[in-house]
Amino acid sequence: MKIALAQIVPKLGDVDANVDMHLDILEKARKEKADLVVFPELGLTGYTLKDLAEEVALDPASDPRFRRIVARSKGLSVVVGFVEEGPADRGLFYNAAAFIADGKIIHVHRKVFLPTGGIFEEAKFFAQGQDFRTFRAPFGRTGLLICRDFLQYGSSYVHYASGADVIICISAAPGRGIAGGDAFETSRMWELMGEAVSYFSTVFVIYANRAGSEDGVTFAGGSFVFAPGGRLITRASSVDPDLVFCRADLSAVREARRKWLFKRDEKPEVIWRSLERIVRASED
Amino acid sequence: MPPKINGAFVEKVLVAFIRDEFSRCGCGKGLLGLSGGLDSAVCAALAARALGPRNVLGLILPYGTAFPEDVRHAAAFAGRLGIRYETVDIAPQIDLYFSAHPTKSRVQRGNKMARERMAILYDYSVREGGLILGTSNKTELLIGYGTIHGDMACAINPMGDLYKTQVRELAAYLGIPAAIRKKAPTAGLWPGQTDEGDIGFAYDEVDAILCALVEGRGSRREIIEAGNAPAAVDRVLRMVRASGFKRMMPPIAKLSIRSVGHDFLYPYDRGR
Repeated sequence: MKIALAQIVPKLGDVDANVDMHLDILEKARKEKADLVVFPELGLTGYTLKDLAEEVALDPASDPRFRRIVARSKGLSVVVGFVEEGPADRGLFYNAAAFIADGKIIHVHRKVFLPTGGIFEEAKFFAQGQDFRTFRAPFGRTGLLICRDFLQYGSSYVHYASGADVIICISAAPGRGIAGGDAFETSRMWELMGEAVSYFSTVFVIYANRAGSEDGVTFAGGSFVFAPGGRLITRASSVDPDLVFCRADLSAVREARRKWLFKRDEKPEVIWRSLERIVRASED
Repeated sequence: MPPKINGAFVEKVLVAFIRDEFSRCGCGKGLLGLSGGLDSAVCAALAARALGPRNVLGLILPYGTAFPEDVRHAAAFAGRLGIRYETVDIAPQIDLYFSAHPTKSRVQRGNKMARERMAILYDYSVREGGLILGTSNKTELLIGYGTIHGDMACAINPMGDLYKTQVRELAAYLGIPAAIRKKAPTAGLWPGQTDEGDIGFAYDEVDAILCALVEGRGSRREIIEAGNAPAAVDRVLRMVRASGFKRMMPPIAKLSIRSVGHDFLYPYDRGR
């Protein structure tokens, strides 16, 4: 399968312009015969929304702008980040990711871990997602995560335990730390997790970050794909916008699981019972 | 000490930041005050790379002939970068004001001069249809070594997250002439004034303390135990605390349900 990582610079608060940008990239990806195109977190809206969140929120099932993207996904899988306001939850705004394939929305993930502290203030403006679920993508069982979800490592475990071969994380991760390298220091943090999750969960990890800056904060870029076993397949440029393509052979999941028996020996029921005991004790 | 920087990476980030901000405003021209010192030279070099030298205007704003060497350095450096520059002498209006309202305070005179320069920059900003680039660095912002609504006023500040010692590293990387890099930093508000004389310590010392405080989140005790002189630590901590007001917008008395500055919250870079 051929993967495209769309490390774009969305226009803050301008959904129409961003839909056009997404459609342009989908056309480029189609020409390159990509099977999967991954856009960053809040790619349809920009990240630093604050009170704009409610103005750019949309219902993916009915919004005509979103439907344009869905309509252009024939023969493609696409991951899109946006602000969701569903008909069943009016007035609640979710930082969301949709997995779209062949003209249909297959799954929507709502970000569970909303970073709030330091430069982050997501929980001031977004409602919190409540679940991690995998779904059947055209290329295999897949789990979606959004940015900080991925750094709370239990999230990847849940996808792994529910059978994911591929974990896709979309991100709007700001760059922090300039201690000498040719990327922000925090880029290492994301790769460290990508490498570890791909290694110990024997899955593909696809990470699409954004570029550009908003309100003085520069997004770190550095999107990547790790194959099972911690093998880095591609890495986009740090900081600059980029569109990178790479090939991923899903049979690598089987190969890795024959070689490393983590998956065979996994005991989610023991983890679950232990977690249940811990959570119940903390509720008492 | 603040970490050593990779000049190429920092340049890339800051040049992209300047370009992003200007393009969002639909504005291609930038202007800044050129003092002949290090910070404004670095800022001018970044702006020239981001916007093209001909789209940058350096304003040299001397008080009479008080600092002839700085004026020469500023003009020579502008010529070397290929940016436009103009000189406006602020002595007539400063002298007129203080002849009517005399003061013996050098600081008061200095602040008035800094604000006069700001007023000229903002006037030129309209004449040129350009945005003002600020040149305050992180050290100055943290200890409050700047005039509020004077040299701290700007449309964007590319350098406000670089300590002075890091600005020096960036200056060396950018090829700023040694004549500018090696002279004693000064606010240029009166003859013989130097930053390090005003602050009381060398920038290396101040930056080590600030970095331990800000980056390291150290307590007073931890910063001293790391090898910084207690008197210096106390003075720097006092300066940081006392200058907090310079780093934020003035508080607005909240009365309504939704108020400017409290809970009417929009991004600066919204859809421009």
